[in-house]
Parts: sequence; structure tokens; C-alpha cells
Amino acid sequence: MDKGLLAYLLIPLFAAVIIPFASRYRAKLADIIANVTLLAGLANLAWLVLRPSMIAGDFADIPGDGFSLLLVAAIYLVALCVTFFSAYFMEEGTPNRPAYYSLLMVSVAAMTGVVTTSDFFTLYVFIEVLAVTSFALITTDESAKGIEGALKYFFLTFPASALIIVGLSILLLTLGSLSFENLRIFMASDIPSGPVTLGAALLLLGFVIKSGVVPFHTWTPDAYQGAYAPVSAHLAGIVTKISGVYAIIKMATLLRFFDGRAQGLSEMLMFLGLLSIAVGALAALRQKDMKRMLAFSSISQIGYIVLAAGLGTPLAIMGAVFHLINHATFKTVLYLNSASLEKAAGTTDMDKLGGMEHAMPWTSWTSVVALLSTAGVPPLSGFWSKLLIILALWEAGLKTYAVLALLFSIVTLAYFMVMQRKVFFGLKSKAAEAAQEVSAPLLTPVVLLSAVIVALGLLFPYFYTYVKVVAERILL
Amino acid sequence: MTDYRIPLFLLTAVFAVWAVMARKLLTSAIMLALVSVAVSLIFFGFNAPWAGVFELSVCAGLITVLFVSAVSLVRTVEEKFPENRARFHALPLALAIFAIAAWFYLPPFFTELAGWARPGTGGGTIGLALWDMRRPDLLGQVLMLAAGVFVIKSVFPRRTENK
Repeated sequence: MDKGLLAYLLIPLFAAVIIPFASRYRAKLADIIANVTLLAGLANLAWLVLRPSMIAGDFADIPGDGFSLLLVAAIYLVALCVTFFSAYFMEEGTPNRPAYYSLLMVSVAAMTGVVTTSDFFTLYVFIEVLAVTSFALITTDESAKGIEGALKYFFLTFPASALIIVGLSILLLTLGSLSFENLRIFMASDIPSGPVTLGAALLLLGFVIKSGVVPFHTWTPDAYQGAYAPVSAHLAGIVTKISGVYAIIKMATLLRFFDGRAQGLSEMLMFLGLLSIAVGALAALRQKDMKRMLAFSSISQIGYIVLAAGLGTPLAIMGAVFHLINHATFKTVLYLNSASLEKAAGTTDMDKLGGMEHAMPWTSWTSVVALLSTAGVPPLSGFWSKLLIILALWEAGLKTYAVLALLFSIVTLAYFMVMQRKVFFGLKSKAAEAAQEVSAPLLTPVVLLSAVIVALGLLFPYFYTYVKVVAERILL
Repeated sequence: MTDYRIPLFLLTAVFAVWAVMARKLLTSAIMLALVSVAVSLIFFGFNAPWAGVFELSVCAGLITVLFVSAVSLVRTVEEKFPENRARFHALPLALAIFAIAAWFYLPPFFTELAGWARPGTGGGTIGLALWDMRRPDLLGQVLMLAAGVFVIKSVFPRRTENK
């Protein structure tokens, strides 16, 4: 456990416990405590990393491996946007309002635990906490679809937990301990790897199911579509990234130490990654509901991260880490915008919407920024991460993979263009005539995140220095 | 593998299947408790007394009390709407196939795995294990408890309000 980052886990937990007591007489206090906690954490992180002396020294003094710090920042950023959005989105007098914020805070604490731990079993415990909180968060608005989504999430991710625990027991039996460091030492020695590879394969399979990679993707569209609107942003933006994709990247960096003995595993990961990119993108083209389309787009984008993680070269890991952060920002913007649309027009069915741009210009243009970044259009942040991944593939001599990844990036642009035309551009539909732009507080998080997307793209050299430090520390 | 533990493993499997197939929720809860009892006996057999004590007190004791009291509350509703049981009839068949396959493959698999085993870094008292070696897990447990409380708080106010 990274001791320096422990406060980022304990303070949200403390806030979660305080919220129900503090908001007993004034419900608004629940929103305020949640937002202030996250904002303070983010400010502290910014102070840690963005000090002039830190930037001038090429981030050499970053505590820990830097990867955890980056992910904690992403967690806090997305969670802050979600809580701020919820504060104005949630209807007054919702009976479970304090519990909703407490659950969000617990899930932030659990995600921080996942990214700061250095032990497989602790990782598993925190991932389970995350699964329990997500299950309850999905059903927040008590709609039938939400409960269906939650049940699907439950039934498909808990077998994944079973696989992970079997893998863990095999690792414990053969390694004697479950710390990442121990696995690294074991693999560096000349002892034949044997069942350790099997254990690692079972762990990877569990994480692949949890992150919704094809062919285990069937739970994601239902869970994201049915979930309470801000919760789908929280889930798609950060929760599945941390509980599945982060663990895959972590495993991939450890697989490098298998020294070719787990080549099959890496190749399988790359194949599943490419399959996800293709299936997700092609399925997204045919969706009628905006939230469902975004879910398939998530599957496709996760494919890029898994593909890069499977390749496992330093450049590829850098691309994977950067794409994970980017995906958290742009997918949150798109999901929050779909929530705004739902509030303003009463539906996310793309055939019923149209010409929303006239009524909701801010929502429309922040969507444009996010979708261009997802499709990898320069100079936005998504361009750089996709470039890193494709370059890494090309450098490793996997030219077919590189070309296919590039081609499906064009398909990404295509389905997002279709979405933008159907929902925002074109003639005014009935829904657009009645709709109004949502209030300024609901726009603040998406505008902030859009600014982050543009800034990460334009200030890429600085960010590259940071990610390079991270890749060097976790791989050397 | 021919020792007194085999009947215990078989009993565990039988109780587990029974718990899934039972018509009454109460029977399911009791069978689940018996699964825990059998598992804790297995733990004692494998020299893991602490795991056995926890399994027996928490899973067979506390959880069963909770289940039985909850079942007695919902019983009247359950009897009004009997569930469709057709899909459960495939379960014994699937289990039989799995059991036959496991009979051939699992013993040699475990024998081979045992050859790879390395001694753990554990040992010492339970306090040492909890407070010194697995402290982060303890934090995870606290988080899990908090999550459980908030899940209940989030689900129940609505259910009463809907009525």
C-alpha cells in the first residue's frame, strides 16, 4: 500500500460516514460535503504535481510510481464532476439522497484503494467493494431498467470474482505470498513458471470480464443504459476502468517479467483487444439509443487500452495509461451530456431527437469536443494516446494490428458523426422545440472536462514527460 | 486422497445443491448453514482452526439467524406466488456431468499442483496476521462494511415510501 496516498482513501471514507448525520436536517449538506471533499483532494493533488519546481525538474520527485497518483487524480476529477452534476440533477426530496452521496464517496475510497495497493488480495477486496457500491448506485432512480441493469451487472461480474479468487489461491499456493513484488522476484528467477501462469491467466480472465471486453461485453450496454443518468457517467467514466482495465494494465506490466513464458497470454489479450475495437465500433454504428451507443463506444475504446496493455512495450504501456485517462474525461462528458438531454428532452432515443443544437448549444459543442477527441482528431488529447498505441504496434512489427486499429478509429469518427447529426444537427424535431438548455451548474462539469481534453492535447509535451516517468518507474 | 475428508466434501456438495433446489426459502437457508458447518469441519481437518471458527460463528451462526428471521418475515408473500421451477431440473444433469469430469481430472490436477507448492510467509498468531501482515485488507473490510450499510440505507427508504 502506498502510504503517501492513504489519505485519499481515508478522507472520502470519513466523509461517507459523516454525510448521513450531517444531512439529517439539511439535505443540501450531503452535496456540499461530497463536493468539498473531492475538490480539496483534487486541489491537493494539483499542488503535489503542478508545482513549478516539479515541472521544471521533469517530475523526477513524484512520490511512488506516479501511476497511482495520476489515477487518483482521474478518479477525483471524474467523481467531482459526477457529484457536482448530481447535486443539481437529482430531484429535491429524493429519500435516499444522503445514501447516494455516501455510496459515491465509498466507491471513490475503494477505487483509490485499488490503484494504491501492492498486493493481489487487497486489490480483490477493494474491487469487490466497488462492485457492491456500483450495484446499489445503478438502481438509484428505482426504475425497472435500472434494476435489470444492476442484476445483469451482478450476475456477470460475480463469476468474474470467482475466477479471480481461484487464480489468487493458485498464486498463493505456488508463490507463498500475493504481493506484486513477490511475483516479480519469482518470475525473474529461473524456477519454471508452471501453475503461476495458470493463476495469472485466471486473474486476467476475471479482469477482462469485469472491464467488459468482447466476448464478455453483454452486461455493459444494459447496465449503462439502465443506470441512473449521472451514475452511468461514473460507471463508464471511471469505475469499470479502475476495476477492470487498470488491473489488466497492472497485470500486463507484471507479465513482462514472465520473460516470454506467458507469450500466449499477451497475444490473447491483444487479440481480445482488437476484437473489442471491431465489435464495439460496428455495433455502435447500429444503435438507436444514445446511451447504448456510448456503451458500445466504451467497449471499443477499452479495446485500444487492452490491445496496448497486451503488447506491453514501454511505449504501448504509456499509450494505454494515457488512453485510460483520456477515456475517463471524454466518456464522462458524453454521458453527462446524455443525462442533460434526458432531462431537457425526456428521451435519449436518437430517432426522436434532432436539431437539439438550437436549444442546447453548450451541450452540443462540448459533445463535439469529446467525440473528436475519442475519434483521435488532432490536436485533442485522444489523438496523442491513439498515436502512441499505433506507433507502438508498428514499432513491434505488428503492422496488421496497427492498420486495423487506425481503420477502426475512422469507424469511431463515423458513428459519432451519425450521432451528432441525428441528435444535435439537422432540422428541429418536436423534442427540440420544447427543450431548453440545462442550467449553468449542470454545464460546468462538462465545460471543465472539455477544457481538460483540449489542455491535455495542447500541453501534451508536459504530459508526455510525466507519463514517460511513470512508464519508466513501473517497467524498470 | 482417501481419508475422512472425502465424505465431508461430498456432504458440502449435496447441501449446496439442496440449498439451490429447495422449494422453501427456509430449507435453503438451513442447507446453506449446513454447507458452512461442513466447510468449517474441512477447515479444522486442514489445520486451519481460525478459519474454521470464523466460518462456523459468522456463516453458520450469524448469517443463518439473519436469513431465518428475514425468511419468516417474507413467508406469506412467497406462498402466494410460487416460482417456475422448470429450469432447475437441468441442474442435476449438469452437476452429474461436472462430477464425472471432476472425478477424472481434479485429483491428478491437485496432486500436480501440490508438487509446485511453496511454503507461505504466514504463521504466527491471528493478531500478527491481521494487524501486521494484512493491514490494508482490514481497511478493505471496513470499506466493505460501510458500503453494506449505505447499500441498505439506499435501498430501503424507497421500498417503504412506495407502499
